[in-house]
Parts: sequence; C-alpha cells; structure tokens
Amino acid sequence: MSKIIEIQIDSKVVKAAEGSNLLQVARDNGFDIPGLCYHKKLTPTGACRLCVVKIDNTPGLIMSCTVPVKEGMKITAFDEELEQNRRHTLSYLLAEHNEEFDDSYEDEIRPLIKRYNLEKPENRPLKPIWQGIPRVVDNTSPVLTYDSSKCIRCFRCIKACDEIQGKGVLSFADRGISKYIVAGFGEWFNSECDGCGECIQLCPTGAIVEKPFRESLKISEIDSKVITTCPYCGVGCQTEIFVKNDTIVRVDGVDDVSPNDGRLCVKGRFGYQYANSKKRLTHPMIKRNGVFEKVSWDEALDFVSSKFSEIKQKYGSKSLAGYSSAKCSNEENYIFQKFIRIAFGNNNVDYCTRLCHASTVTAMLKSFGDGAGSNSIEDFETTDCLLVTGNNIIDTHPITATYVKRGKAAGQKIIVIDPKWTPLVKYADVWLQPKLATDVALLNGLINIIIENGWIDKNFIENRVEGGMQAFESLKELASKYTPEKTEEITGVSKEKLYEAAKIYATAKTAMIATGMGMSQQTVGTNNVFSLINMCLITGQIGKELCGLNPPRGQNNVQGATDVGASPVNYPGYIPVTNEDNRKKVAEIWKVPFESLDPKPGLTTIEIMNAAYDGEIKAMYIMGENPVVTDPDRHHTVEAIKKLDFLVVQDIFETETTEFADVILPAASLYEKDGTVVNSDRRVLRLRKAISAPGEARQDWQICVDIAERMGFKIGSYNSPEDIFAELAKAAPIFGGITFARIEKHGIQWPCYDENHPGTSTLFLEKFNTESGKAKIFPVDYKEQSETPNTNYPLVMNSGRLLYQYHSATMSRKSKVLNAYANEAYIIINPEDAVKLGLKDGDKVKVTSPRGSLETTAKVSDEVLKGETFMPWHFNEAPVNALTRNEIDPMSKIGPFKYSVVRVERV
Amino acid sequence: MSKTTIIVGLGSCGLAAGAGKTYNEIERIKNTDKLDFELKKTSCIGMCFREPLVEIIDDSGTYLYGNVDVTKVDEILEKHIKNFSPIQEYIVKSDKFDSPDKDFFEGQVEIALRNCGHIDPESIEEYESKNGYAAIRKIANEKLKPEDVIQKVLDSGLRGRGGGGFATGMKWKFAYNNKAPQKYVICNADEGDPGAFMDRSLLEGDPHSILEGMIICGYSIGASEGYIYCRAEYPLAIKRLNIAIDKAREKGYLGKNIFGIENFNFDLKIKEGAGAFVCGEETALIASIEGERGMPRRRPPFPAESGLWKSPTNINNVETFANIPWIVFNGPEKYNQYGTEKSKGTKVFALTGKIKHGGLVEVPMGITIKEIIYKLGGGIQGGKKFKAVQLGGPSGGCIPEYLSHTPIDYDSVNATGAIMGSGGMVVMDETTCVVDIARFFLDFTQKESCGKCTFCRIGTKRMLEILTRITKGEGKDGDIETLEELSHSIKDSSLCGLGQTAPNPVLTTIKYFKDEYEAHIRDKKCPALKCKELITYDVIPENCTGCTVCAKGCPVNAISGERKQLHVIDHEICTRCGVCFTKCKFNAIKLS
Repeated sequence: MSKIIEIQIDSKVVKAAEGSNLLQVARDNGFDIPGLCYHKKLTPTGACRLCVVKIDNTPGLIMSCTVPVKEGMKITAFDEELEQNRRHTLSYLLAEHNEEFDDSYEDEIRPLIKRYNLEKPENRPLKPIWQGIPRVVDNTSPVLTYDSSKCIRCFRCIKACDEIQGKGVLSFADRGISKYIVAGFGEWFNSECDGCGECIQLCPTGAIVEKPFRESLKISEIDSKVITTCPYCGVGCQTEIFVKNDTIVRVDGVDDVSPNDGRLCVKGRFGYQYANSKKRLTHPMIKRNGVFEKVSWDEALDFVSSKFSEIKQKYGSKSLAGYSSAKCSNEENYIFQKFIRIAFGNNNVDYCTRLCHASTVTAMLKSFGDGAGSNSIEDFETTDCLLVTGNNIIDTHPITATYVKRGKAAGQKIIVIDPKWTPLVKYADVWLQPKLATDVALLNGLINIIIENGWIDKNFIENRVEGGMQAFESLKELASKYTPEKTEEITGVSKEKLYEAAKIYATAKTAMIATGMGMSQQTVGTNNVFSLINMCLITGQIGKELCGLNPPRGQNNVQGATDVGASPVNYPGYIPVTNEDNRKKVAEIWKVPFESLDPKPGLTTIEIMNAAYDGEIKAMYIMGENPVVTDPDRHHTVEAIKKLDFLVVQDIFETETTEFADVILPAASLYEKDGTVVNSDRRVLRLRKAISAPGEARQDWQICVDIAERMGFKIGSYNSPEDIFAELAKAAPIFGGITFARIEKHGIQWPCYDENHPGTSTLFLEKFNTESGKAKIFPVDYKEQSETPNTNYPLVMNSGRLLYQYHSATMSRKSKVLNAYANEAYIIINPEDAVKLGLKDGDKVKVTSPRGSLETTAKVSDEVLKGETFMPWHFNEAPVNALTRNEIDPMSKIGPFKYSVVRVERV
Repeated sequence: MSKTTIIVGLGSCGLAAGAGKTYNEIERIKNTDKLDFELKKTSCIGMCFREPLVEIIDDSGTYLYGNVDVTKVDEILEKHIKNFSPIQEYIVKSDKFDSPDKDFFEGQVEIALRNCGHIDPESIEEYESKNGYAAIRKIANEKLKPEDVIQKVLDSGLRGRGGGGFATGMKWKFAYNNKAPQKYVICNADEGDPGAFMDRSLLEGDPHSILEGMIICGYSIGASEGYIYCRAEYPLAIKRLNIAIDKAREKGYLGKNIFGIENFNFDLKIKEGAGAFVCGEETALIASIEGERGMPRRRPPFPAESGLWKSPTNINNVETFANIPWIVFNGPEKYNQYGTEKSKGTKVFALTGKIKHGGLVEVPMGITIKEIIYKLGGGIQGGKKFKAVQLGGPSGGCIPEYLSHTPIDYDSVNATGAIMGSGGMVVMDETTCVVDIARFFLDFTQKESCGKCTFCRIGTKRMLEILTRITKGEGKDGDIETLEELSHSIKDSSLCGLGQTAPNPVLTTIKYFKDEYEAHIRDKKCPALKCKELITYDVIPENCTGCTVCAKGCPVNAISGERKQLHVIDHEICTRCGVCFTKCKFNAIKLS
C-alpha cells in the first residue's frame, strides 16, 4: 500500500495515497475540475487541457491529470485565471465539434458548455471550423456509429479498447486536425472489433454512439435504471439496465464492482433484445389433439399437478424427474430441487452442468473437496503464468479474457493447450496443439518432464497431499511411461514444446489453470481433470494466492444451481443426500419428516434421458432447459422425450423441446426477477427486476410452489426471493453469512460462514476441503476412445461455441445485432482434408456420424489439425448433437461433445 | 610517386545532379584507355551548387572540379590525367591556386564533417585510416571509465545539435546515473525540416562516425542496444548505415565484449520512420520505435529515466554523435577552443534558398549570419536584396537582414525569436513574401501536428485559415492580434516541441515585418509581389514589340494581340502564373 500523504487543494487539506492521480484526488474530494480526455480507468493522456491547475513552486498551468500527488503539494484548483483558461480551451474544442446532438446519449460536453456559458455562439472566442475538416462517418458496425465531426480526439475510445478490453482495435488515422478514429485498417465491421461497446461507454462527446434505439430514444426520458447481473455466461458481469416503457433500451457496465468493473462483452451489452421479444411465451398452454391451446394458470397448474400425482401414484416416485436450470436464480433452483425432493419424493434433479463441468467438478471434489474455481477473476491478470486448456476463453468468457490480456500486456506467461486454434493463441507464449482426446497422455507427459527436471514442490507434496511422497511415487511411476517421445507419438506435440510448457508452468512463481469444455466434455473428462490436478499438486501451484484451478462456467448461474442443490447427489451446499444426519438437518429446515427424503442418489441428466428412453421415467418437469439441442445424440433424446407420458416445460420461449411438451408454462426472464446468482469465482451477486414479465408469465419459483401445493405438498411460504435466500443460507453453510443487505453493491465469494466472514477470494489457502484437509493425487492412464476414425467415418468432429451466440441460441438469436455478426453454422475442415475431399471454402456439405447427419457449409482453415473438424453447436438448422455419442464418462456422467467420428461429403 | 586518385562525390545531391553517370563515364574511359589511376567514391563534399564534383589528387596537389557533367569527363581526363595539365577554369578548389569559390571553404572548420567528401562511406577501412574507431580504442586502451568519458563530453561544452541545445554530457550523466539493467541509445536521424540536409549528408558521408559515437555513448551510459531512427525518405543513408553496421559487426566492433572491453556488449538496429515530422520529437520517436503511433508522450518522466520500452534511454541527433569520437580522440580542450562562451565547437548548416552557393557548411559557433551568407554563401542569387533568413525550419523563426550581425550561438539566436534548430538555413531575398513564408511553414506544421493537444490541433488550423485569408487579400483588422493570441495559446499549451514552436515563424515575421502584414490586410497589396491574388501582370506598351511569345506561352489564353501589335492581359482570366513574365525578352511585362 502506498503511503497516505496530505496535500492542499484551494487551502483545504486533503489526504491521498502518494503518487495517485491529482485530478482524481481532487474530484474524489469534491473539486469538480473539468476534463474530457481523463477517465479514471485509463492511463492519463493529457490531451484536452481542461483540467489545468496551479501548483505552488511550479511555473505555468499544469494538467492535473498528469500529476502524481506528492506530500505537501499546494494546489489551486479554481481561480479566475484557471476558469478563463478552461473556458478558452473548451471554446477551442467546440470549434472542431459538431453540436448536432441527437438525444440518445448523455455526453460530458453539454454540461460543460452550460457551465462555462458558451451556449450562445457569440460568447465563443473561436468560430466553428469543424465544417472545414474532412468528415468521416463509419456506420458499418452493427452496434455503433462513429462521426468524426463530434470527436475531440481525446483517446478515450482507443484506450478503452486497448487498456480496458485488451483488444487494441482502435487507433487514429491521418494527422493533425484531420485525424479520426479508425478501427483496424479501415471499416469498423471489417476490423477485429467484436462489438463490446467499451468505446461507446467511454466516449465523452457522442462521437461513438450505440445504434440500437438511436432514432427513438431520448435518454433524458428514461423511466428507470436498474443494476442486475448479466444473463449470459458465468462471469457474472454487473450491468445497468436502462428501461423505457417497460422495454430494455440500453445496457451499460457498472464501474467499481467485481467482477467486471464496468466492462461488458457484445452479448452483455447488446444481447438483451430477447427479453422484449414478441416471441416470448405469455400464457400457459396445454397440448390438446396435438395443438397447444392457451389456458388459465389455474387450469394449467391443476392439470400439471394432477398428472404428476397420477403418474407418481401409478408408477411410483422413481418415475418422475426434473431438469433444473443454470439460467434461473439460486432461489429458483433451490425451490426446484426442494420441489423434486419433496413433491416427487426422489433425488432425480439435475441440469446442464452435467453437460459442461460435471467431470471437472467430480474430479475437483474428489481431490480438493470443492468443485468450484479456486481463484478470483482479478487473479487472471496478476498471476505470473496462466495455463488455459480446452477453453476458448476470449469467445466464451470475454470479460475474464480482458483480465488475461491485461496480464499478458504486463508480462504474464500464457500457455494454451487446445486442439483448435483460438484467439488466445495470439497471446500465448506456447501453444500445444494435441490431437483430440489425447489430453491425459499430454498431461502425463508434462508431469513426467516436470519430475525428470526436478521442478516438483516437495515441501507442498509432503505437507498438503494425502500420502505425501508415497502418493507422489505412484504418480511418478505411472508418468514415467509417458516419455517425451511417447507423448509426442500419442499427442502429436513436439518434445521441445512440451518441455517449454512444462518449464514455464512448473517454475513460474505463481501459476493458475483455466480448464474448459475441451477437457470436461469427453468420456474421459474426469480423468482429464485428474491429470491437471496431479500436475497442479506436484508443482504446488495451488493452495496459495494467485495459484489454483479454475473452470470458467458457461452459464450465468451454473455455479449457483449446483451450490444450492440442483444435484442428484447433494443437498444445498454440497451436503451428500446419502448421509442420514444430513437428511435430518435438511428435513428440519424444510419442516418435512426426514423419512420422506430419498436416501439414494438420483439420476443424472443423461441417465434421466436414458431412463426415459427405457420407459422407467414417465414424467418430466423441465425448467429453462432445451435438452433436444443440448443433450448428446439428438435422435436418442427426441425418442426418449417422445416416450414420456407427460412432459412439462417451463421456459421463456418456445424451444426445440417445448414442441414435445404436454404443458408449456411461461416464465419470467432474468431481467424480470429478483434474486441471486453465483458466478465462476463463487461470487454471490444480485439480480434485480428491471422490466415486467410479459403477459401472464410468472416467476419460476412461484410456479413450483403452486404445483407442489396442488399436489398436496407445502414447500414453503415465501413473500420474496429474499425469504428463500434466508432459508438457503440456513441450509447451506457456505452461504451462511450472506444476506441481500450485504451484497447490495458488492458480491461476496463463498464460503462465507457467518455474518462477520468476508467471503473467500482464494480457496485452499489453509487446507483442502477433504476429510484429511489434504488434496489427493489420482494417477490416471491414457485411454483410447471407444470410436476411432475408420473408412466410413474418416474424420473426427470437435464442437464448441462462438462469441456472438450463446448455447442453444434461444436467447442470443433473438438479437439482430448478434445475428449480424454470426448467424450461420459451418464446419471447419483442414486444408489437406479439404483437398482430399475436393472441397472449397463455402461448399455445402453433408456431415454424417453413426448417429445421424446434418447439412452445413464448409470452412477450410488450418485452425484444426488434419483429420479433425470443428462445428459451433448453436444453430438448430445444423444440430451438432445429431452427430454426438450417447456414451458417458463413467464417473461424472458427462457426454462426449468434443469427439465424434464423422464423414464429410459435398451436397 | 604515389598513385593518382580520382574521387567522385556520390551523395544524394551529387546523384541528383548526375554524378552517377559521371562516375560511370570515368570508369568506362579508365578501362578502355587503360588509364592508371585509382577511382573512388565519396559522399557529399558540401558544394551542392557545383555538383557533380570530382576531385583529382596527384603528386602535384589536389584539384576539385565542379559541375562535371558527363560531357566534361573526356576533356578532363584527356588534359589532366593524360597530359598532366589541370583545367583551371573548371576547378572550384585547389591547393595550387585560388579559385572563385575558395571563400566557401574559408572559415569552415570540419569536425562533424571531417570525413564527408573525403572517404568512401562504404569502406570501414577508409574510416579507420582517418582515426576511425580510434576514440573507442583509446577508451579501451586507457581503461577510461564511463564517468571519465562523460566528463570529457561535459568539458567539451557540446550541446545537443538537434536544436534543443541541452548539454550532451548532462544528458548522458542522467542516463548513466539511472541504474537499470537495460538501457538504450537512440540516434535521432528523423531529419524532417524542409530545407535541412545536414544529417542526411553525415549519414551518407560518414556513417561509421555515427556508429562510433553511439558505441561510445552506449559504453558511457551502460546501454547494450542502440537504435538509429532514420526516415525512410533517406534510402541511401539507410543503405550506407546498413553496410556500415554489417561491416562493424564483421569486424567485431558491434556485438559482445567489443574492443576488448569486458562485459561491454553493444549492437545497433535501424528503425525506418514512416514520414511523420513529429517523430523527430524524442518521445514520439520512442513511441514509433515501440510500434505505436508516433505521438509525443508527456514528460516527465524524461527518456533518461523512462524511455524506450520504459528503460532509461539517451537520445542524441546525428550531428551530436558525429562530434563525439573527435572530441574523445582529440580531447575536449581542442573542441572547446572553437565557439563562444556558452556555445562551444562548430555547427553544420544546410544553406538553401535564394543564396548563390547553396550547400553544406560547418562553421565555428559565434560566426555571424552575415558572414555565412555573404562570405561562404557568396551572397544572394541574381544580385537581389537580402531580406531575411529562416533558421530552425518550421519550428524556427525569421531573422531580418538588419539583425544579420547576430552571432550564431544558441542564446543569441534564441534572443531573436528564432531557434538554432538542427541547422537548416533558408535564405530569402526581396522577392520572398514573409506572410507567404509564414503560411507555408504553418501549413506544414498544421499538417504534421499529431493532433493530440487541443491548441496545436485546432489553433494551427485556425492560424492557417487566417494567414491564407491574408495572402488572398481578405485580411481584416484584428487578424494580427488574433494570430498573436493564438500563437501564445499554442506555445503555452502544447505537450511537445512541435506545438511549442509551431507559431515561431508567424511570431517572428510579425515582429520584424509587421508592415508587410499590414500592407496585405489594409492595402490588399503584397510588397514582395508574391501572393498571386494580390498581384497583376500587365504589358508595358512602350516595350512590347508584338512578338506573340507571351500569348503563345500563356497556359490559359489570357493574352490577346495581333502580331506586331500591342498585347493585352485579361486580368479576369490571368492566373498569375508568371509564364509571360519569364518568357518576354523585351522586359515588356510588369508585375504590380
């Protein structure tokens, strides 16, 4: 921490950290010094000169934004000369500034014009010259418009892009007064700009403005601004929602709060259109004679509850199951799992986590005792080394990636392990490109190199690993088979690169791992993560600050849903259902007889679908999930769903799954509800209602409570999500100290056991959460896949996500803006394979696996290795899961979305 | 009897005048006639007004032939080489007899330019034969410590020749005192002033002296890497620098443990600039090397503290580095015997404009402007009247004739409102309109402003608008005051030297030639008869013979008249191009 010093501003004594920015210090203490080029999140520029002050014993007028404060400084912030000078400067800026404001934005220049009495042209010493300057208007971006005639060349957009987002797309073109902002080498749309809009948020003059609602919006007539958590990925960005006539018209990032400190990505800022979409479900519907008919809530709830009761009576409670939702709040997931356990009387509750990080969580729970990310998002910037494996972090977790890029700019070492090129490769020190599904071999190879070179942390192994050096020896023995030569043979990665990566990771002062779907979504997903954990443990790169293992989560509340018990094996707070004491505790809080709680673990997502296929599950209650698109082996999924006697889907839109429902229940979207979510770094964050739910759509938790009640079960009487959270905090000790009041502005990272606990920014600093308090090494061997390329299916298909679309695209594809960037499916084929198949870029192709086939467009690129292909899975017209296998990882029950044999033919 | 040598000046100036062809012709005749002499190349000899230049050195003496175009080669070789009879009328300088151009060299002291025009710049051996790399060897042999070398530079009194005039030794000392593991030396070779070519000539003529200067600097401040930031518009300089660096590396003069000094590693890279004038400003230059847009950064921190890649960095210009080996080798006392009390040594100037003998000169500090113009420069072309001189390029100012007794030293020049600058000296005669000159320089700085500082960006544009108006006869009362106000705003409120000095040409011309401004504004007249909108061309009836030459030459058909009849110029059509004025053989066109 810097020393606290005293300075004087206009004779007032002010305390400040030594070296902090004078303009900021002055503003923080109530001195409203003007300034347009300065922004507290950016390095000072010193261009506009509005912030001049006088400093005793320093000649001239000094730009305060460029001055670090020193003990005893005496500052004059306001006197007549300074104000005259500022007025003069402002009139200069106005001379080059086109004042044809539209009303869709608030800028910082209009209040200054008023303040310095420069509204009337005759009051301005300098006449306008902007008409004589070449005017550049760039209208090509789907999200923004740039008009050089309103630009005062303050650098804020350039620095926003560079310093805040780490993208560096913007720059100046031309010189002197003719200079203007240019994206990439020319037009905005053809540049690397990904539409995050950071530049819009920081532009002080309205030179860069948002396109959506520009024509109709009067920003001064906004009805409300509401701060809530972004509904997209698991970063949990804090957003400010602008509402007009119950419609979302703008989203900005919220400064000064974690995890995003004002930053947003293109989805967070522009992906809100779905909430006000005309396609929203507005009425409950019951399918009669194959047609959905609008019904009243009473009728729908009566029907649903009676059908569930009937099936339960007829086939027993084992015949019912539910999918909870990573898109719903903690409170709703909590109520949903409570509903399943009480009303259905079993533990058949799971959700899409099974399809994403189930394997990671399984391995981490076994080894560490906790399945969540060990670090905070800020650590991605400050750790010395970051190893990113199977995680296209720039596209899937864009705001986490901003921390990574900033870290890189400050000298961080980055290792990327990915069979496919991702944008992060551009920032990487080493990129290991193993063949698909060879990760265990690769990691064992790295472990072998680390051991051979003596880069292990013996002290850590002895003190923090169960079995100490003995446990290590068993790993050493196993890893010794994976010599660099052998590893190169299996993975295709050169010995030299393996050595380089192993050395960087193991010898870094601090190193963190981010592991993604590439690792988890395999039939060996859990083993993959065990291998990572093993590497982590022998190098001691966990259990201390800035070290650890992190699975960035894909959905806004995928972390929270498991935390609050949407799991077939755990009650809220990771308390196993199989333990009698646990059941007693939970039964007491829930005020139900403990005997009524099922002691056996329930079925997992894919197991539920398989049981449905086998006729064991007869009825399902799906809340906010779209398994037809998201589950592997689509054909099998559809068959399974068709076999159900009764399916209730509760969602905000019709989806590929609602088609097969007997009842559709309309729910509120995330913008329409209060509550909490948990993000990837275990931060409990608030949701706040910004707009009303359309038509008769209701809060998910209320629907659950009502169905239960009509089935004869009282699962609680709550007035608000806050009431539910209070109960949750009792049931789950990791949330014990968290209340809505405590997280009003800043979220708290669990575990937080009591009201005085500050939350936990890094896990495992003292001990691991296992019984012994030590972590466990699980040596695992590399196994070949059950299916391998053959003459019929010579290629392997990998799948993944894009920045501009989101999962099954139910939400994101309602956005014109996002669709303008990416709205088409494709399959990436290596150029050598393309030549062999006689394919060119843009050719229509048929992709076939043993499970099914689809048609799409070929994209020829060396982003993938020879013999491998890649498809984004967002697009229902080319449903990737028509091709994937229904085989699961035995330990975590996750599906193998990343590896399917296929053949590709021209249509 | 030693072998006769013929040396051809092949600098950019020589090449432009056809010296390449001259060289080829000499070579051709040498081969066909099997003549026995050594043919060598050198760079700019300084007398740009006599290019191409060919020097013949034989037992009898040295003979510099001027204006040796390809047609004269045969004659010179025939008479001088074959018949040992120098052709005196072509000779511009000789140690055997006086030539009309001898004054050009008299009064010059060659320190920075010591090897220019004398050695083959592509030969490291020739540089070494002239005490090249002897200074750094001296440091190695005498085991001089970095502090000792810095002291020598301090004692020499050398001040930055890029224009700032900051004491070079002090600059080195700052960088030396900063104990960072990585430091850099940068040579600023981004010579961008219109009319300046001192650095180019040095780089083309004696690249090794720059290298040696940088090596000495690297040793002194503890830097292991150097950059030469050279504008891409100097292809020949870059080529010769590259050759020099390659040869120095081959000889082990660049690399590890060089000159036998243990742990002294130094190597050089060339960074080509992309033509932005502002990149001559040191912080913009650093940004440009780093791959950023070349824009000045705020100081402090100064480069000596945090420069290239945030490491301590010493930047000097080409001429400063060229002086260093000489100073170290000959001792500071020998250097500071030249110059004035506060400005020691010599300064190289590029003489251009309306001067008779344009070229490159190196003079001791303290010499007066008058001496340079009238003695070395031979006075004004065409017997016109000397009006003023622009010193320091677009950042400098205009010094009027009546101040031509001003001695050339940093402080005296600054006192006039001009600056020493890097050494561009543009001479103006009575036909030069100072308002137009101010407009020209402002047009330049306005375009070259990086656009960062509000006042530089907007103010220069505003000033240019006003000046353009004035030169078009649309000036208004109050314009001069507005120009002065704007000038002070820009000077006071700009981050870098470009903005701080951009108004200088306007301020000095207003200071010394206010009446000309007033004539433009009030009387709508251009006293120098230069501003097109304010002049008219007319036929003088008494002199016109009706020869039709003017009418035929007029590009816009503004002149009418029958053969042998009086011709008339239609002012509506006339574009004041002046073609008629130059074509008329009978002085029948008048300008008013």
